[in-house]
Amino acid sequence: MDSNFVPDCPDLMLPSRPRRKNARLVLLLSTVMWAALVATGLWWLWGYENAPGVGAISPSQWPSQSRIQLAPNGPTLVMLAHPHCPCTRASIGELARIMTHSQGEVRAYVLFTRPEGSPEDWEKTDLWHSAADIPGVTVVKDSEGVEARLFNAATSGQTVLYNTRGQLLFSGGITGSRGHFGDNAGQGSVIAILKSEVPGQTETSVFGCPLFNPQSECKVLNDEGNK
Amino acid sequence: MMKETNSKIKSGDATSGRATELFSQHQQDIYKSTDRMFAVLMTVQWIAGIVAAYWISPRTWIGSLSQTHLHVWAAVFLGGAISSLPILLAITRSGRRSTRYIIAVGQMLMGALLIHLTGGRIETHFHVFGSLAFLSFYRDWRVLVPATIIVAADHFLRGFFWPQSVYGVFAASQWRWLEHAGWVLFEDTFLLIAIKRSVSEMWDIAERTAESETLTEDLEAHVVQRTAQLAATNKELESEVAERKLAEEALRDSEGRYRLLFESNPLPMWVYDLEVLTFLAVNDAAVRHYGYSSNEFLGMTIKDIRPAEDVPAMLDNISNRPAGLREAGVWRHQKKDGTLMDVEITSYPLSFAGRGSALVLANDITERKRAEEALHRSESQLRQALKMEAIGKLAGGVAHDFNNLLTAINGHSEMCLRRLTPEDELYRHVEGIMKTGERAAALTRQLLAFSRKQILQPQVMDLNSVVVELSKMLQRLIGEDIDLLMGLDADLGRVKADPNQLEQVLMNLCVNARDAMPKGGKLTIETGNVRLGEEFAGEHLSVPPGDYVMLAVSDTGCGMDALTQASIFDPFFTTKEVGKGTGLGLATVYGIVKQSGGSVWVYSEVGQGTTFKIYLPLVEGSVEKLKVDTGVPELLSGVETVLLVEDEEVVREMAMEVLQECGYQVLEAKDGSDALQVARQHAGEIHLMLTDVVMPRMSGRELTKQLTPSRPDMKVLYMSGYTDDAIVHHGVLDEGTAFIGKPFSMHALARKIRETLDAPVAV
Repeated sequence: MDSNFVPDCPDLMLPSRPRRKNARLVLLLSTVMWAALVATGLWWLWGYENAPGVGAISPSQWPSQSRIQLAPNGPTLVMLAHPHCPCTRASIGELARIMTHSQGEVRAYVLFTRPEGSPEDWEKTDLWHSAADIPGVTVVKDSEGVEARLFNAATSGQTVLYNTRGQLLFSGGITGSRGHFGDNAGQGSVIAILKSEVPGQTETSVFGCPLFNPQSECKVLNDEGNK
Repeated sequence: MMKETNSKIKSGDATSGRATELFSQHQQDIYKSTDRMFAVLMTVQWIAGIVAAYWISPRTWIGSLSQTHLHVWAAVFLGGAISSLPILLAITRSGRRSTRYIIAVGQMLMGALLIHLTGGRIETHFHVFGSLAFLSFYRDWRVLVPATIIVAADHFLRGFFWPQSVYGVFAASQWRWLEHAGWVLFEDTFLLIAIKRSVSEMWDIAERTAESETLTEDLEAHVVQRTAQLAATNKELESEVAERKLAEEALRDSEGRYRLLFESNPLPMWVYDLEVLTFLAVNDAAVRHYGYSSNEFLGMTIKDIRPAEDVPAMLDNISNRPAGLREAGVWRHQKKDGTLMDVEITSYPLSFAGRGSALVLANDITERKRAEEALHRSESQLRQALKMEAIGKLAGGVAHDFNNLLTAINGHSEMCLRRLTPEDELYRHVEGIMKTGERAAALTRQLLAFSRKQILQPQVMDLNSVVVELSKMLQRLIGEDIDLLMGLDADLGRVKADPNQLEQVLMNLCVNARDAMPKGGKLTIETGNVRLGEEFAGEHLSVPPGDYVMLAVSDTGCGMDALTQASIFDPFFTTKEVGKGTGLGLATVYGIVKQSGGSVWVYSEVGQGTTFKIYLPLVEGSVEKLKVDTGVPELLSGVETVLLVEDEEVVREMAMEVLQECGYQVLEAKDGSDALQVARQHAGEIHLMLTDVVMPRMSGRELTKQLTPSRPDMKVLYMSGYTDDAIVHHGVLDEGTAFIGKPFSMHALARKIRETLDAPVAV
């Protein structure tokens, strides 16, 4: 017999019973500890993934001070985004899907917030270019978050939809969780509105980075709906 | 049969057990190798997760502020936590079931983390299915169970607590997680089938391997057995090869020896092609003997070493050759320098380089043949000598008695004639008696001459003078029809011979020549000095080489054939008519010449003539004066006392009568004893003793020895018809001995007595 041969019952092949028992115990304990550690980590990560940003109470009527022109012949969609937020990549992706579904029936704007004192072209990130590449989407620099403040947005990925009369149709995020691609309630509702269907929801949680620094006027809300 | 069956059963059980063992070993190897792969994979995944997190979401932002994104820390720490235990177990407890279960769990958790880090991209979800496929590498369906549970639990828990993050809606069905788990189970189904087939194949492989091992073992055992057999066979082969090598070496040695026998054979040997007669091989002796090089030989045929006239006979001999070894007889061969030699050929047919050939052994018998011929001649000469000896003894015996009788007859006849006158009637008859007696005496001399028993009195002489003095008589002898020509060498050397005998030789040869020329011709007598070489002297004349004086007698007569030539010197051989020749002439010539140390050579051609050449050794010294018979008719007388000793009464009486008539005082004795007594009784001086040589009881020589001391001044004259070596040696009279041969005439005796008495006393 090959000296390297170990039958399919390796735990029974230890040299002596006490050592074998200890080894099994060590293995068991290690496994349990490992499982607990991993479970904790995953639970924490999942919690983070599903923790929404500060929600916004978007104005029910298109803000008149906005530099963005409301589309006269169709809904106007505005997404407020942080140009460096990795979670917003999923929001841009979902916007592309919405634009695909809308087939030119909506005018969309992505306003990338540019904080005061930011370097030149700070906002021109891959997100900027990705958004600009979506047909029907107009990318706009939102210096110092003026427009964001007009729409009461505090979290990147905040999306609002207004009809031609300036009435708010939808407000919220269009991803299911933080930076997570895939079908979700926000995206599905926007598409439904654009198809003149009854949306599942008109308000959803926004998963993204805060648009403004903590000390800025726009306070960060700890809980959805609470300022 | 039963035993074989049991053996097969045992073999089957062993194979099955070995298959199980091989399967388990293979399975364990797969577990271990897959553990190692997962250890590597999970390490890579961990690193990939960190990279992906850092790339996708390196920092999180709050307005213009940013910090490291939580995903990066999650990728580092949570990913490390998920990977740590599986990697550790894969390294430290590789192959164990618990290890692969924990790996399965870890791998699926790592999938959940990666999906999260990549924003829940649908593409990343393929990691789940890929991981399941990877886990199936274990070929252990049980590993899929915890993996599937982890996936289902993930969806169940997240669907329960955060349904929108999983299902995109806030309120999903509580069984929605089963849809996700169902797809995983769907893949599990295929993987289970694949695992089952793979395990089955592993069993097949194990069984085949076990069978193969069994076969291999059998084969190895067979190989060992066959190897042993091969080794034994190899050993036998080596032994055979060694024997064969020894045989080949022996064969090479044998071939070498036989080649050496051929090449170094002292006798010329060669192999020639029976069809085209070319030489195929020659040995060194042939090269040495014939003078041709080996290459020259190989470009020649056997016809090239034979005289042209012998080639037809040789070709005829080859075409009629019988098989096998044969003596091909004696042939003449020609060397490169043209020298002919007699060779004795022995041949044997053989196949040489695939060609019909014959091995030839050539024995040069030229010298042997010469020796045989010389021996033959010697034998002939010996036979001749024996014959002559026998005849000589006969002649000697006859001559002794016959000469005594003739002495008496001739003596008495001579005395009668002295008392008669020619007118007397008896004179004619007595004269007839005396002539007949003289003829009988001549015949007796010839008998002694050819048998070489006559007494020679040689002296240094000039042969030319003998020829010249005899020439007149010879001319008369040969007649007028024959011309006598002389060719005498003026500077002729001297010979030592009995002049009278040489006259006899010359006369006999001339008579022979005359008889060969009945119708006339030319008879030439030549003399000359010659030097005989060793070969000619030995082979043709049987004399030692050296300087000789030649006497040649040539005629232009009828000549002789070879048969006649071979017998001409035999006694009583004659070609003449009965009554015309005695057959002793040439025999006498031969006897005299041989007795004189010379030789006779004859050359004759039928119808052309004959030449006899007499060779006598050339000697130094001055010519002695020939004693010439003065021819005085009166008896020489004296008064001295003569002791006459003769056992033959008639001879004694006749001699006494002659001596008394000459005036001598004669003392008579009938033999030696009587002579001694007479001598003792005679007081006076005895001046001469005339004694017979051959007498009973005491010879004349012995008598002389006994008387000489008492009478030293007494002279001795021997008389004899045949001396029997008493006073002669090899036919030559002892130096200083006086002798008179029987039969002698009165005058001859008287003259010899007187000469002896008058001769000076030897000092």
